[in-house]
Amino acid sequence: MDRMPEGSRMDDKLDALWAEYRAACPDPEASANFMPVLWTKIERRRTETTSVFRHMAQAWVMAALALTLIIAVLLPRLHKPPIYSATTYVEVLDDAHSNDALDLLAGGDAQ
Amino acid sequence: MLVDFGLIERARSGDDSAFSQVVQAYRKRILGTIARLIGRPEDVEDVGQEVFLRLYYSLEQLRTAEVFEPWLYRLTVNAAYDYLRRQRRRRESRMSDLSEQQVMMADAAAGGKVNEEERRRGKVREKVQALLGKVSDEDRILLTLKEVEGLSLKELEKIYGVNENALKVRLFRARQRVLKAHEAEGT
Repeated sequence: MDRMPEGSRMDDKLDALWAEYRAACPDPEASANFMPVLWTKIERRRTETTSVFRHMAQAWVMAALALTLIIAVLLPRLHKPPIYSATTYVEVLDDAHSNDALDLLAGGDAQ
Repeated sequence: MLVDFGLIERARSGDDSAFSQVVQAYRKRILGTIARLIGRPEDVEDVGQEVFLRLYYSLEQLRTAEVFEPWLYRLTVNAAYDYLRRQRRRRESRMSDLSEQQVMMADAAAGGKVNEEERRRGKVREKVQALLGKVSDEDRILLTLKEVEGLSLKELEKIYGVNENALKVRLFRARQRVLKAHEAEGT
């Protein structure tokens, strides 16, 4: 008699079990409220998504307003007078060394 | 294909009535697959609705109507996988966590009549679910699609997005693990 190896027999048993399982689990019929519940879920998801975007947009607007306010408050304080002068170079030199000529004259008298 | 490509194209472009028709055409098949994947009749509709909800919001990403069925199966696999993962996380003892056989016994004790054929089917379901419960969710889903749903390697290739050889290896290993569990049960 042909003897089947143990592994092969288990394989066959498993295959038979799958087939039995397939037969024991027929495709179920959907209940009457399958579609209405599905559409409710679709609508709820749509509302949630819209609301998330709305919240994000509100957050961005608030952040932009806050930033504008901060800039408006800080900008005048940061504003410093320009470092350049309206006077000419010669005038600045003249101001800085206005007594030099007098000192020279005074020195000359002493000699 | 259970529907023509035109209907899918219409659903993809935002036609809700076309989408409803697509759902009605596929829901029985998808609910059946989910029932065999998750093994919990009370949650099948809920997971099925999740699949079609995901389909509704992802239809526009579908490249062509030709790949609709593998796409739908992929969504089904993902939803079943998410469900099984959630179930593994909460394992408190409650009525719905009792085995199907125990629930049937409870029903019978409560006066409900369970006929012989249904009892035998229940035992088969229980046996397979116990067996599949001993392997990972990935193995469980892959084996169910191949061995129970009867999907070909080509179809699985499209669903999983991996080549046939890689699938063969995964299937072989998954089957070995189930066989090991089957042997350990002494059946």
